[in-house]
Amino acid sequence: MGSVNGRSDNEFEDESLVSPDTLARKSLGLDRGQHGTLSDAEQDFSVKYLKSQLFRSIKVVLFTAKINILMPCGPVAILINYLTANHAWVFFLSMLGIIPLAERLGFATEQLAFFTGPTVGGLLNATFGNATELIISIFALKSGMIRVVQQSLLGSILSNMLLVLGCAFFSGGIIFIKKEQVFNKAAAVVNSGLLLMAVMGLLFPAVLHYTHTEVQYGKSELALSRFSSCIMLVAYAAYLFFQLKNKNTHDPVHEGGSQHEGSLVDEEVAEISQWEAFIWLAILTACISVLSEYLVDALQGASVAWRIPVPFISVILLPIVGNAAEHASAIIFAMKDKLDISLGVAIGSSTQISMLGIPFCVVIGWIMGQPMDLNFQLFETATLFITVLVVAFMLQDGSSNYFKGLMLILCYLIVAASFYVHVDPASVEDKSPQG
Amino acid sequence: MQSEREDLEIEMETLVSSSQSAVKTPHVEIPHNVSLSNVAMSWTLSRLFERLWKNVKVVIFTAKINMLLPFGPMSIILHYLTKNHGLVFFFSLIGITPLAERLGYATEQLAFYTGPTVGGLLNATFGNATEMIIAIYALKHGMIRVVKQSLLGSILSNMLLVLGCAFFAGGIVHSKKDQVFNKAAAVVNSGLLLMAVMGLLFPAVLHFTHSEVQYGKSEVSLSRFSSCVMLVAYASYLVFQLKSHRNLYSPIDEEDRQNEDDPDEVEVPELGQWEAISWLAVLTIWVSILSEYLVNAIEGASDSLNLPVGFISVILLPIVGNAAEHASAIMFAMKDKLDITLGVAIGSSTQISMFVIPFCVVVGWITGKQMDLNFQLFETATLFITVLVVAFMLQEGTTNYFKGLMLILCYLIVAASFFVHVDPADGNV
Repeated sequence: MGSVNGRSDNEFEDESLVSPDTLARKSLGLDRGQHGTLSDAEQDFSVKYLKSQLFRSIKVVLFTAKINILMPCGPVAILINYLTANHAWVFFLSMLGIIPLAERLGFATEQLAFFTGPTVGGLLNATFGNATELIISIFALKSGMIRVVQQSLLGSILSNMLLVLGCAFFSGGIIFIKKEQVFNKAAAVVNSGLLLMAVMGLLFPAVLHYTHTEVQYGKSELALSRFSSCIMLVAYAAYLFFQLKNKNTHDPVHEGGSQHEGSLVDEEVAEISQWEAFIWLAILTACISVLSEYLVDALQGASVAWRIPVPFISVILLPIVGNAAEHASAIIFAMKDKLDISLGVAIGSSTQISMLGIPFCVVIGWIMGQPMDLNFQLFETATLFITVLVVAFMLQDGSSNYFKGLMLILCYLIVAASFYVHVDPASVEDKSPQG
Repeated sequence: MQSEREDLEIEMETLVSSSQSAVKTPHVEIPHNVSLSNVAMSWTLSRLFERLWKNVKVVIFTAKINMLLPFGPMSIILHYLTKNHGLVFFFSLIGITPLAERLGYATEQLAFYTGPTVGGLLNATFGNATEMIIAIYALKHGMIRVVKQSLLGSILSNMLLVLGCAFFAGGIVHSKKDQVFNKAAAVVNSGLLLMAVMGLLFPAVLHFTHSEVQYGKSEVSLSRFSSCVMLVAYASYLVFQLKSHRNLYSPIDEEDRQNEDDPDEVEVPELGQWEAISWLAVLTIWVSILSEYLVNAIEGASDSLNLPVGFISVILLPIVGNAAEHASAIMFAMKDKLDITLGVAIGSSTQISMFVIPFCVVVGWITGKQMDLNFQLFETATLFITVLVVAFMLQEGTTNYFKGLMLILCYLIVAASFFVHVDPADGNV
């Protein structure tokens, strides 16, 4: 017993990542000394082993990233929700609380990708990359806040395409001011094509509805939206298939980047094991879901308290939550002259939301019985249209400089200002949600 | 003696005279009873007169377009004599054209003395001085729609008509090959034009869908904010262009300059620095005066000529400011210097959309006019599709006469559309 305690003390003192070997040796030594069924000592040992693994996991996942300082905001938000009726504070604190959780979710996904190989890893990233936005949207959908769903997804796309990409181009351009940074044109062009296809999917229901030229006013475009969503999901699946198949034969710019990055990252052993990553994924998703519920409930109250239109909160403020981590990593990669990765983060995320996230929400709405459709109303659709055009144009020649980045950022300022003075007409806005 | 000198000056009808006068003046005799200071004063005065006369000759009498100059004073006389707004409008239109051209000339001359950086800046701000002056006068009179439509028309005319004619003429002359130009500059300009469209699109759609916080007021505030953002973008564009100019925009341009031994570059500037500045001031004042009469006569002309005000603002007015640029763009295209042509045409469009329009909004803000970026749906849609068409044409960096013809035909369609377009009675006027 004493010796077991001694060993567990050693494990607690393990501050570094060196432990796996020692643990393996210890468990082998133990097995050799046993005969028959599990003795009490062994049971105690495995419990202690699990506990130490748990503590180590927690340390790696929760305490090593600086962003996790924001974590207490989550529980505080929940407390305030039950103590006061101050929606503004609940909203603000839950926003701050979700940011580190979203970042850790991304980390856990990456870690899991180590164990699943590149194909499934790519798929994982493709689906869970925007898990936060999806979770927030699903909660809003549950409360019947369809406009909030549409606007927050739209805002995520706009923020990725203009703000994140602009900041990345700008900071990369400032650092590498002597030359023009280049990136793989082909990938950018494919993504632009998909984004334009998404705009097409959004444009038709909106214009049909606006010109009152549907067979059944209000209902036809819902049916059309559901059909279009299925098509868009098929397109996205085909895109994933196409991307994963061609990954090996991709041109040097992309491959050089990924090999470089791969060598840097792969030298490290995955920091947590496969099952741990899985479990953390589940835990973090659950935490995010909990906080999202409070976030969505407090939205209207915050809008009233801060005197800001609800569209502005949905389009500009909410996406900050899900995007903060991606934002930082895109800028870092641009400054290291790995523009392909930045583009993958920014534009890939936009494509994912427009071709997977939005249709997926429509389908979920279909299942839940909520009238979620692709009619984002004329102003939002026009905004997406012109933004996709501007960005597609900027990306088409495959080079970047600080001026392009600055232009994208300034465009985002104009978009944000437009939403600051934008309200939905009474006929369109969400009725107050239940609860 | 003075009459002798005057005779000498009057006889100086040709351009040979400068050497003669230099030879003749030392031979003037100084009579005994006139003091030295008197002689010196009359000497400097006559030198001044000489220079003035030479200046006037160079600036006013050497360009053939200046035959149209008398139309200006004539329109003013007509304004006070008759009530025929149509004639006044027509005459002041023709009268401003040569003034605009000379203004461009004076700016070029000044650029010789200020070096490439400030010269570029000068061109960037005064390049469209005529449009700016006309717009500001219209703004002063509260004719907000005229301001917006004339600026829009200027952009459309530059992008479609001027560029189209240049491509067409160049393509016909060099029909054996496809002419090439520097893609990078064209792409940056197209990006800026798209950003301008974005700045114009949001207020228009917000207003049209009645989805603003305060109907009619929010989009004015939004326009003012967007205008400041656009001005910042234009300023950084200038910085970017002047700083990285050599790296990005040179290859085709510089080679041409080195190869052709351009006589224009080798010539000494024709005006002195202060002369150029004074001419700049004089011409600006003249253009302002004529613009006042022009703007005043627009509505009357629309009635008497039976044309919609929109058509006059969008199609006819820009001819005035653009005539000279038009001619020079075509000339440069025929000399296979497409980069300069593009700089003139697309650069001018970019300047108007990212500098002059936001500038007018800011001027309106300062003077309390409700000038905003909501150009109404039809005009915004026109600008949008035009920018798309032109951006697409320019993106591959080559041109031929067919592209030019397409652009000209597009302009005809645009002109026809504005011929049958009126603002609705309840719209903003």
